[in-house]
Amino acid sequence: MKFELRPWIRTMKARALVRILSQFGEPLWIVVNVGFPIFSSVALALLYESAGLSGYTGFAILGGIMISFWGNVLWSMASQFNWDKQEGLFEIYLTSPCSITAILIGMSVGGIVGTAPSAVMVAIVGWLFFHPAVLASSWVAVVLTFSLTLASLYCMGMLLSSLYLAYGRAAESLNNALQEPVSMLSGVYFPSIGQLSPFPFGIQVAASLIPLTLGMDALRRTLFFSQGVSSVSIELIALAVMAIMLLVASSVALKALENKGRREGTISVRIR
Amino acid sequence: MRGPLGTLTILMDMRGSSSFLRVSVQVSELRRVFQTRNSPVVALDGISFEVEEGEIFGVLGPNGAGKTTTIRILSTLLLPTSGWAKVMGFDVSIEPEKVRHVINMASGAEKAGYDFISARMNLWFFSQLYGIPSDVANKRIDELSELLGLTKHLHQKFYALSTGYRERATIARAFINDPKVVFLDEPTIGLDVMTALRIRDFLKIQARENGRTIMLATHNMAEAESICDRIAIIDRGKIIAIGSPDSLKRSLGAPAQILEVQPIPQNLDFLASVQGVRGYTSSVDSERGLTTIQVVVDDDLAAGRAVDSLKKAGYKILSTWRRAATIEEVFVSLVGKGFAERERSGENE
Repeated sequence: MKFELRPWIRTMKARALVRILSQFGEPLWIVVNVGFPIFSSVALALLYESAGLSGYTGFAILGGIMISFWGNVLWSMASQFNWDKQEGLFEIYLTSPCSITAILIGMSVGGIVGTAPSAVMVAIVGWLFFHPAVLASSWVAVVLTFSLTLASLYCMGMLLSSLYLAYGRAAESLNNALQEPVSMLSGVYFPSIGQLSPFPFGIQVAASLIPLTLGMDALRRTLFFSQGVSSVSIELIALAVMAIMLLVASSVALKALENKGRREGTISVRIR
Repeated sequence: MRGPLGTLTILMDMRGSSSFLRVSVQVSELRRVFQTRNSPVVALDGISFEVEEGEIFGVLGPNGAGKTTTIRILSTLLLPTSGWAKVMGFDVSIEPEKVRHVINMASGAEKAGYDFISARMNLWFFSQLYGIPSDVANKRIDELSELLGLTKHLHQKFYALSTGYRERATIARAFINDPKVVFLDEPTIGLDVMTALRIRDFLKIQARENGRTIMLATHNMAEAESICDRIAIIDRGKIIAIGSPDSLKRSLGAPAQILEVQPIPQNLDFLASVQGVRGYTSSVDSERGLTTIQVVVDDDLAAGRAVDSLKKAGYKILSTWRRAATIEEVFVSLVGKGFAERERSGENE
């Protein structure tokens, strides 16, 4: 069938808007979303200070900002898609001519916008209490790195969404299994790759396969070590390639899953 | 994007005259087998039928008969094991994307919608899945809500809507894209009488005035009888009768014999062996401590024999009368049992 851009954009915009409004429709969820990353960041920043490493408190604040997005990818996007299936919304998507990829990109955009207040709050609180030394020489490099990190992170979320559809009820366990190991390996609160990493080379290579790892490393270097676009070009290219690969993979996985579901009758919970 | 208007076919209508009618849905030798842990389950066993444009077509049968499987295949959520089906001329197996442009579907069991946004916002969201411009979508939401009596509740968050208004919103969603064919699975299940009536009236308007084809899976016989132009009665994956409600009822030999008896019977199988009895169905009234039995018979003599056999079996007949045929009695005459007995016997599992 011919690809039609306008309906695709309408679907994406609508899903993004619903995601944003739904997130702000739950006051308790806002508190959890905003509060938890602040507590974690402050705790780790205090740890750096008490260890006499006050120059590194920025790592903890940056980690708090990025962990908000990672949590959003896991809990509000990948899991949400599985909940959509449980609620019968996935069937509605499938019986309409809409693109499931447009739905997922809409969820990503909505997730980024919905998480932004939490990330901003972490930045404000962190800056007010700890005054981390920001030594960015190129804001273009910072913005580019941040954007590509989010793009690859949410494309990973899109791939996870399709996997969650296959796993069904095990999705929540998968979330728990992914949350802490990824936080540790990706170096959200401390450098997990490079000279300052506590990990051996093999683990550093494995950790680099997670988009968040490369993104965090490049963000730290551009924000706190005055490096420009050329210094993080390899990371930027890798993030862009990862984003494209994950986007394509999620699209292929969703189509395969839809075909499998139609063949085996697993799109719906009821058999007949 | 719209597909072709469907296959132009000459059909014989109910009165036997030929006319040019467009076929919206064509199903041929459709079979679906599910692989389960224990053994394969044959949900559909080679069904064939056609539905005309603007027709309300009911698929009626007890739970597990294969109604939902039929709807799911036609709405592109499930592939048939063999056979084929076309909607507006498009094959549901080969061209699902084209089918999806001209259909919509809804289930009475679903509560699909985003809780923390309003009913209007939900409907707008679903319209965007079809790429409908917002101004057109909002106009449609207003029109559909007016017809369904939902207008005053459009601003309410979805979670705050009562079951009845949620279902009205679900039905509105199924028509938001101006579909040619709408598949509905038990649309009024669990609803109060007034809401169910409102929805049935709405469906009639959509078929009669807007020429939409509506295919309805239900086990509610009164509903099927009141709104369907034709009904396919389905049992254990096979169509056992098809026709207009009137023609199906005319196929019965005589009005059914209704009896209220005491004590509550444990087993009424002996009725099936009475000469001229086609079948029976019963319902227990625990409050009054009696059972109402409907016996479908060939003629008046058979009705008398059924009454006698119950008396001989020791049952006290509190009252008895004859009643004009119903669709349930058509099912009973074909299967020998009612929906309830069929479901209890587990024969559809």
